Amino acid sequence: MKEDPFKKEPFLCQRLDEYHVQVPDFTMESNRWERFISFLASPANNPLEALISTENGMMMIKIVPLVGATILAIIPLFIFF
Amino acid sequence: MTLSNYEDELMRAYQNGEEEALEKLYLLFQKPLYAFVFRYSRDEQLSIEIVQDTFVKLQQNKHRFDPSRGRIKSYLFQIAYRLMVNRLNRRKKWRTLLPFLFPAMKEEMPHIERITVREAIAKLPDMQRAVILLYYYHDLSYEEIAEILSVPEGTVKSRLHRAIKNLKKELGGEDIERGSL
Repeated sequence: MKEDPFKKEPFLCQRLDEYHVQVPDFTMESNRWERFISFLASPANNPLEALISTENGMMMIKIVPLVGATILAIIPLFIFF
Repeated sequence: MTLSNYEDELMRAYQNGEEEALEKLYLLFQKPLYAFVFRYSRDEQLSIEIVQDTFVKLQQNKHRFDPSRGRIKSYLFQIAYRLMVNRLNRRKKWRTLLPFLFPAMKEEMPHIERITVREAIAKLPDMQRAVILLYYYHDLSYEEIAEILSVPEGTVKSRLHRAIKNLKKELGGEDIERGSL
């Protein structure tokens, strides 16, 4: 016979009963496009957060694109001359 | 007719080609399945997707369901649990490979008491959490939970007792002391 382990735990039951879940409206059919959009719209961690918080990191964010652009600009000089 | 019989009747009707029965099954199980996945994962979008995928799977495998082997309720929870665990494992892998692409957890701020219960449940080891959610909130038997989680019945019982012990440690003990003051 099944003995309910919660019978002796009225206080725990009371606490567990406080956990309600609000169910949003959604249909049975799934839509891949909507899923992709909600994935894109979901909040994500900032990959540059570690750099933003330090002064050197901020300098790096400013300098790296400049250096990259300079290198890209110089490459044709080596190809054509 | 009990609810359980009604659910199984609906499934039989769906297997016999009544498409309306599927809609009724969806109405019956959408909320409990969502609540189970949400309480386990605390992710709204994932919960919606798992419920939808569960019904896609049900439609794909509608003739595989055998009423003599169990109720439609435990069959649906089994599908949902497997889909959820697979998705969460895949996410874990992606999170290790590309942590910055992984969406941050969205936390709603409900009643303070509820946060405590939610957090206490979230703190439980995965298998203990699944057992307590299925047993307490979804009224499934040891046998059904064992089938859903693919573990022996004895394991379900021991995990449930450990989960109760852990929850009491997190929620019960302190409050009882406070109440007695």
